Amino acid sequence: MVSLPHRMRKLQTRLLAIRLGSGAYILPKDINRIHMRFAPRIEGGHMGPRKFWHHELVRLKYHNPAISMTTDRTARAEDPAVLSVHFTSPTPTQSPDETTSGPAFADSTPAAAQPTERVSTIDMKHRTNAEILDELVRMTKAQAVEATEAEREELRSLEEQRVKGAKDSAKSLEVRARVAREKQLLEQARGELAADAV
Amino acid sequence: MAAPRYCPSCLSLAFTPSTLFRAASRRPAPLPLPTPQNQQPFQLRAASTNALKYRRKDPAAASRRKKARSTYLAPDLKNIVQFSLVDAMRYLRASEVGRPPTSSKYELHVRLRTAKNGAVVRNRLRLPHPVKTDLRICVIAPADSPHGLAATAAGAAIVGEEEVFQAIRDETMKFDRCLCHTDSLPALAKANLGRVLGPKGLMPSVKTNTVVKDVAAAVREMAGASEYRERMGVVRMAIGQLGFTAEEVRRNIRAFVENIKRDMQGISDQTAKEMHEVVLSSTNGPGLSLNGMFGSADGELGDWSAGKA
Repeated sequence: MVSLPHRMRKLQTRLLAIRLGSGAYILPKDINRIHMRFAPRIEGGHMGPRKFWHHELVRLKYHNPAISMTTDRTARAEDPAVLSVHFTSPTPTQSPDETTSGPAFADSTPAAAQPTERVSTIDMKHRTNAEILDELVRMTKAQAVEATEAEREELRSLEEQRVKGAKDSAKSLEVRARVAREKQLLEQARGELAADAV
Repeated sequence: MAAPRYCPSCLSLAFTPSTLFRAASRRPAPLPLPTPQNQQPFQLRAASTNALKYRRKDPAAASRRKKARSTYLAPDLKNIVQFSLVDAMRYLRASEVGRPPTSSKYELHVRLRTAKNGAVVRNRLRLPHPVKTDLRICVIAPADSPHGLAATAAGAAIVGEEEVFQAIRDETMKFDRCLCHTDSLPALAKANLGRVLGPKGLMPSVKTNTVVKDVAAAVREMAGASEYRERMGVVRMAIGQLGFTAEEVRRNIRAFVENIKRDMQGISDQTAKEMHEVVLSSTNGPGLSLNGMFGSADGELGDWSAGKA
């Protein structure tokens, strides 16, 4: 069982990484859906989209949970890698939908709630995730999320603890190695004595 | 490197290897290994007054085994960071972005305060919103009998007798569970399917409650039930799919926790059990401790919790 402080430190590091970092943007209200289509393997220039999915899209989803963000990884390597942004006119949000959504939720059909007026696409093939993000921000005029003072403080203290922990770990490893070596020699000597006494 | 000197009676080091090197350069010749006769003089000769002063008084204490804990660790939760259900789901949905909404699951880990060697919590439960609904169930009963028709109505994938036997023998049929009606049991025994179904654990038998009179009810119960058991003081179970709304997840969590509480009450006379912590996680997300609240801590976020992936 991991100790509670250790667990909390790891958790906070991970949650801060979801909240802050590259891709932490608030998108405007007229975006309905973001859909990415790329190949399951990186050959053919699909590494940028994949990295974007794992890093930037996570933060975008956290800050814009109402926007449906889907991926379709059934493209072949030679097919284009496309990120499509579906815009719609900004309408006031509907009353919350309390009926069950059902377990089978189709992920490639557009949401029927708000009609899509236009679709803009970004070509992601052979581009890094930073470039893809830049183009998305330019296209949607997204607002960056700045770290608050409390979050900066927390990041600093977590970094300090990590560095200190690494140093302490190295020192204690040294001590433990020395103690283990002594114990090993002792066992050896004990074995020699037993052989002599016999 | 010379072997460090040790005291054979207490088997503790008289010198550490670093001091030994320094001492060796001064000493004219290495001392012989002590025999039982000259133990005492060797000790007095080799050990300095300082070492004698700090000699371990109770050498057996170092080698005495530490008493093992009898309960699982339950750390103090006053410094823990906890989340409401909606906040936790927000982080988890972000971690699972882009994955198919039926493949990623939410899972609940209920940490119990309990002894290590006591009875364990183990049961089945029908969640209000079942997580795994695509279980293929095969029913052995005549397809046109009332039982067979009721089974198909209840959602069995395959119903029949002779044709099913043939298909099983040919390995054309794929299913996850197999039920048999009591009247069809002799036919099943005669068909000799133990070779095929036995190793897969699918052979209907009275012992595993897969030979039933009321097949429709059994199909329904089998399709919806999820099983859970306590392992190392924690009960873990899948509690929802990614596509579920917050309300659905909340109902599932409530049903699950109530069920565990009832199970714990049932075995409380043998072992004392208490719920210590409830953690929500997902297939690719972090584990977030829940504080029992539903709504978001910092106000409304619109209707995002209504289930859009």
